[in-house]
Amino acid sequence: MHENTAENSVILCRSCDLAIRKRALPTGVRALCPRCNTALYDTPYCSVNGMLALCITALVFYFPANFFPVLEIHFLGSIRTTTVFQGAFAVFDQGYWVVGIAVLAAAVVGPGLLILSILIQLLIVKWGLDSPLGRHSLKQLLKFQGLLSQLTMLEIYVISFLVSSFQLSDFSDIYFGMGTFCFTMLFLVTLFLQREYDIEHMWGLLMQERH
Amino acid sequence: MKQQGKDLGLCLCTVCRQLNGSDDSHCSRCGSELHVRDYSSLQKSWALLITAAILLVPANLYPITVLTNQGKVRHDTIFSGIIHLVQSDMFPIAIIVFIASILVPWVKIIGLATYLCAISFNLPISKKKLMVGFHIIEWIGRWSMLDLFVISLTVALVNMGQLLDAKPAPAATAFALVILLTQLAAKVLDTRLLWDRLENQDDTN
Repeated sequence: MHENTAENSVILCRSCDLAIRKRALPTGVRALCPRCNTALYDTPYCSVNGMLALCITALVFYFPANFFPVLEIHFLGSIRTTTVFQGAFAVFDQGYWVVGIAVLAAAVVGPGLLILSILIQLLIVKWGLDSPLGRHSLKQLLKFQGLLSQLTMLEIYVISFLVSSFQLSDFSDIYFGMGTFCFTMLFLVTLFLQREYDIEHMWGLLMQERH
Repeated sequence: MKQQGKDLGLCLCTVCRQLNGSDDSHCSRCGSELHVRDYSSLQKSWALLITAAILLVPANLYPITVLTNQGKVRHDTIFSGIIHLVQSDMFPIAIIVFIASILVPWVKIIGLATYLCAISFNLPISKKKLMVGFHIIEWIGRWSMLDLFVISLTVALVNMGQLLDAKPAPAATAFALVILLTQLAAKVLDTRLLWDRLENQDDTN
């Protein structure tokens, strides 16, 4: 293991700092650290156009998912509905702003920024890699990518639709609205988008053209 | 090859995972500051975890929702809410809520405390088991948010005065902070420390 070859063939595990020799992987296989089982890398199957399509689909679903009613309650003849957005503001109104911010961040702002960030990254990769401004923005966006993907909790919100509807069915009739469909679709599209996205590959795209 | 990056004079950037020399002060790819090991992360992680553990008490003891049903007011803690679900024959839902709002936070706090103790006091616990536990904790941590989402939907939906009304109660804030602080405690910690400290005593991994 000497300096000249070390650069390309060795990687370090981010959890336990073990030095590992990097090898080519067949598709769909993920390399795990032999000592602590942390996922190290997998073969990138990033297709920029495919991701762009997923991004645009996600954006199409994003607005109805947040602003269309997700749950309807039929109670003594009156119909009440709520949207994801109103849910966050209802707790806010009651003075529980910590809860409100948490819900808003994890279900509305997080996913929105994630999709927008990936979209801008893809646009820069397609058309803006020559300009210094494009490079600089891409670098900053990539640095925040980890945080944004952790903030996004769409899958948990989808489960919470089911839990709330079962809990409330004790009191009255509950129906799912158009928003539930859009939100579930948003979750599925974002799931595929995040599967397709490979941060290491994006860094590679940023770095390769400098030389 | 059982060498650590530290011994080879290499250092991984914690932000973008680029390999750098351990003499470099900033990452060559993303420009973030480099640390071969972040010893202060242990303190930060302990501080966040202890705060979370303290907040876990009000989160469990105080009511998390106030439900008014035809004039009768019912204060529900996390636990009594689950008991109520069991009584109304919604077993699967009760299990989901139990896992997300009671099991996950407790397991997380106890697990992280064990992990931090193992680093701080060199406890002879198998590193492999600790790391598996840590990965599980990292992965399940987010699921506690379920309860907050359910509360927000219920509160927005059910507001019909004396007939049927749901409102959040003080435990909700405490619970939200527990989730936030435990997530941060796990994120802040430099797990590479574990693999240095125990090496002296116990070489079995």
